[in-house]
Amino acid sequence: MTYDIWLWVTFAVMSLITIALRGSFILLGERARLPDGVQRALRYAPASALAALVVPDLLTVGGQFAPFNPKLAAGLVVILVVSRSRNPWLPFILGMATLLLLRKGLDW
Amino acid sequence: MNASFRQGAREGFRVFLPVSVGIIPWAVVTGVAMRASGMTVFEAMAMNFIVFAGTAQLGALPLLVAGAPLWLIAVTTFALNLRFLIFSAAIAPAFQGFSLTRRLLSGYILVDGVFAVCAERLLKSDDPHWRWGFYIAPSLWAWAIWQFFGAIGAFGASSIPADWSLEFMTTIALMVMMVPLTSSRPMLVAALVGGLGAVVFQDLPLRLGLIVGMAIGMLAGYLAERGVRGRPA
Repeated sequence: MTYDIWLWVTFAVMSLITIALRGSFILLGERARLPDGVQRALRYAPASALAALVVPDLLTVGGQFAPFNPKLAAGLVVILVVSRSRNPWLPFILGMATLLLLRKGLDW
Repeated sequence: MNASFRQGAREGFRVFLPVSVGIIPWAVVTGVAMRASGMTVFEAMAMNFIVFAGTAQLGALPLLVAGAPLWLIAVTTFALNLRFLIFSAAIAPAFQGFSLTRRLLSGYILVDGVFAVCAERLLKSDDPHWRWGFYIAPSLWAWAIWQFFGAIGAFGASSIPADWSLEFMTTIALMVMMVPLTSSRPMLVAALVGGLGAVVFQDLPLRLGLIVGMAIGMLAGYLAERGVRGRPA
């Protein structure tokens, strides 16, 4: 697939949002502080957002709920590797190997 | 370029160097994943340069491929980068009295690793020259590594066969970030509710299920935390 001008608009929007968040208090300086309660609630945004992106990919195939699929098997391998090892390459190598083995080797 | 700036730069670089090695696989994988989503090498390198936020970039890829509307990508970027609001609030006192140009550059270039390693000493120092060196040197190094190895991934992606399901690298990368986050009970609740919520509501129009999942996951995490704290020890 190829992208059009909207890809560049998307880059610009993502960049502005990111700079606004990173720069927020650095730019405002002494004039603003974040309340404790808000800080605590915000801590859960990344974990929740990451899961909302990852889990549907692992549990569905072509938009249909189908938990028994090679992606979920590979995902479980990744979780195991990440929680057992500090090696930054290993999750990618073993996760992709599991997926390719199941898809190509076993034709699943 | 006075002596205490150089001193700060040297020390900042030294403490960050070992941590910065961890950026390399990220950058390579993000480069490959951007190409697997259909971008040209030039577009991929431009995204690294303009957006410069690995998690948000990886999170945007499946949405770009699905042709999701811009506002959804914007909300996702916002949620995935919310942590920077907290980092920014924590680190802001160190930039007191700095020019707007420096603050803007500092905002663009702030990354997790530098914050994690440098924030504490940064806030303790009284010398603005030392602080500027101690912040900007490791940050520029992180930026350079990201751009360089991202480009390597983007160029290298062409030599990997197209039927190797490379788009799954995006999911793996997002999981590698997610799993260590879920070490506490409330975080795990936030991730489970967010993830399963996104599945349950996936048939909502405009991929709204993603937003619904994120929102109820965040709420569930917050409630779980209050539940844990409210319980007698």
